[in-house]
Amino acid sequence: MALSTVLIIGGSGFLGCHLVDRFYAVSPRPAIHVLDIRPLPIISPEFYSFNPDEIVFHKGDITDPDSLREIYREVKPDIIVHSASPIHGMGKEIYYKVNVDGTQAIIDVAVEPEFADIIKGLVYTSSASVIYNGEDLRNADETTPMPEKQMDAYNETKALGEKMVLAANNKRPGFKTVALRPSAMFGPGDRQLIPNMVQVGYTSGTRFQIGNNWNIFDFTYIGNVAHAHVLAAQKLLDEKKSGGVAGEPFIITNNQPVYFFTVPRKVWAMKGNIPSFTIKISRPVGFFLAFMSEVVAKLRGKEALFTRFRVSFTCANRYFNISKAIHFLEYKPIVTLEKGIEISLRYLEYEEEEKAKTLAEKKSE
Amino acid sequence: MSKYLELILHPSEMRAVAQWAIWHDPVFPRDPEKESDNLKRCYELLKLTSRSFAAVIEELSPELREAIVIFYLILRGLDTIEDDMTIPNPVKLPILRSFQEVLDEPGWQYHDSKEKDAVVLEEFDKIITEYQNLKSPYKAIIKDITEVMGNGMASYCEDEDFNKKGVDTVKDYNLYCHYVAGIIGEGLTRLGVAAELSNPKLMDNPQLYESMGLLLQKTNIIRDYHEDLMDNRRFWPKEIWSKYAKSLDDFAKPENEAAGLDCLSEMIADAIEHIPDCLYYLAGIREQSMFNFCAIPQVMAIATLELVYRNPKVLTGHVKIRKGLACQLMLESGSVRSTYDIFQQYCHNIQSRNTPRDPMYVRISIACAKVDQFIETVFPTPPEPKGLANNSVLVFGLSFGIVGILIFYAVFLVQ
Repeated sequence: MALSTVLIIGGSGFLGCHLVDRFYAVSPRPAIHVLDIRPLPIISPEFYSFNPDEIVFHKGDITDPDSLREIYREVKPDIIVHSASPIHGMGKEIYYKVNVDGTQAIIDVAVEPEFADIIKGLVYTSSASVIYNGEDLRNADETTPMPEKQMDAYNETKALGEKMVLAANNKRPGFKTVALRPSAMFGPGDRQLIPNMVQVGYTSGTRFQIGNNWNIFDFTYIGNVAHAHVLAAQKLLDEKKSGGVAGEPFIITNNQPVYFFTVPRKVWAMKGNIPSFTIKISRPVGFFLAFMSEVVAKLRGKEALFTRFRVSFTCANRYFNISKAIHFLEYKPIVTLEKGIEISLRYLEYEEEEKAKTLAEKKSE
Repeated sequence: MSKYLELILHPSEMRAVAQWAIWHDPVFPRDPEKESDNLKRCYELLKLTSRSFAAVIEELSPELREAIVIFYLILRGLDTIEDDMTIPNPVKLPILRSFQEVLDEPGWQYHDSKEKDAVVLEEFDKIITEYQNLKSPYKAIIKDITEVMGNGMASYCEDEDFNKKGVDTVKDYNLYCHYVAGIIGEGLTRLGVAAELSNPKLMDNPQLYESMGLLLQKTNIIRDYHEDLMDNRRFWPKEIWSKYAKSLDDFAKPENEAAGLDCLSEMIADAIEHIPDCLYYLAGIREQSMFNFCAIPQVMAIATLELVYRNPKVLTGHVKIRKGLACQLMLESGSVRSTYDIFQQYCHNIQSRNTPRDPMYVRISIACAKVDQFIETVFPTPPEPKGLANNSVLVFGLSFGIVGILIFYAVFLVQ
């Protein structure tokens, strides 16, 4: 059965905009509805191909079942994509509210009998970090167990949300669920991964390498993650192919794991910064220096760029085996890692240009 | 002379050469006493025409040894006819296209070739005699491959564009390599499986044996850039070199060295992407002599690729791995694990020299990481023992202590 109406919860966010973009590209094009607390941002046609006028926006609170029920009644989606998630650093309470309570409400209302012939499935955006226990992940896959204790409150709530979603598979006959676990997403709209690397690129930090750089990392271009969501939605609706998908988690990456420093170095090189030499620092020394840097930053009342968290991030092996997604979702990345980096840098330039434009307009006023 | 000098400069290789010469025991030594004169002559022909393969073929399991010697010599015969520019196409094409039939014509010889390996054709009747002595499943496989290869070669001889301009797209490049090497991979795999020396599963995934052939062929094509150019042959695909120069010949000029090296990087990136398949294949071989036979050329290839990577000498002359190094590699590539280690080491060497200045920076980095990732699937890293995890905490604490003491002294001294 072809997808006719999709409701994207969290559709105004970083991943959300790309979800809209990829669902818009599906042929025949489904009706696309977005539910979020803030409206869709103004998007540039250079990076997104959808027409914002064709997207129906609903403002609503996902923790409020009544508000959800009303929107479900109005939209009549056959698939709900739930990718609403608070930004890192908002605090434990907000994480619980959105990732656990919100997810519960989304499920509970969707399985109500009145939506029996309407809502056929739920695609949930989880995170590859739900199987991260602080140690190296090498070729980790869906059989890798979740740690008993998650690394932080954010991951804890994401893991809880995922468990709830997968347990809800068939909770009402004909209601199918699937969870996608993307790893280290980057791309237009990203505020963390590539922007942080670009920032370091303006400092002498490019001369340093922590660890031996044989550790491998899976970076994932956001457009590929969105593409995987489309495939997951289509598979849930496909009687023949939903068998291996419904009730299952899938790790999503670019399937191009790479030595960690390759990506920042490529970013810096594209920004014209190729250091003539690099200084290698072992991991423990890196930890120590990062600690000192955090202390100094704190004393000066600034935010430290070089932190212990980044050291462990930089030295970790974190790569996955995504055979399951390739087999059951028939997933294949549509944008390569290298192309993804190019697009991301071009997007940051575009943002700078936009900023400069608004500044100039203000001045002329 | 330079050979000896090289050995003195690389003592570990000197040891390897000595070890190979004195201690090396073939898994299955040949026993020439029991061989007929005709068969002995075939082994001599093998030595005359193959530089690198003779040694590994001679040590193969007796079950397959003769089949592979004959297979090799037949393909050598085909190749000699194809390469011989003095044979006009109207004569050449029918021979190539019906070469499989020659195998059933006792006494067949060919005396009009001027190529260096013409002796194979002149004494081809001896090869036919031995071919007829092989077990029938082996005969059928050899005949099949001979037919496909002969026809493939003939179509390349006919192809005016190919002969004048060389290879056009990457797809054409892969297809060419398929006809001259991928098919041999198929033949050897079928022989190995028929002799029960290899896992029959290797037949289910043609991409694996295809990659085995392609890695070797592409390595030769990359390394022989200059030599082929001198012989007026061009195998580097235009789709790749046209990004860096107006003509493939330009890279040999000193002023184009930088462009040539970038192009070389792309050729190497394309080749090393076959490695995970090759490693997968090697894990499917069940018998030691067959493993050596397959693994040795592969490790020579990766060592060669590492040697030519960003090496300007490739563009202007001939580059070859040292004899001593070859010996060392033959000694070390005896098991799946040690062969994987060699591959990993050479890939890491390539990656260590890879810089963001290279247009292939990301692609090569991904290709090398894929090798690590594959090896990890076969030999997973054991989880770190819990005790060691505290190591960093120890260093952490120690450094704190030392810094503390230093500060203490500084304050103390100032007072």
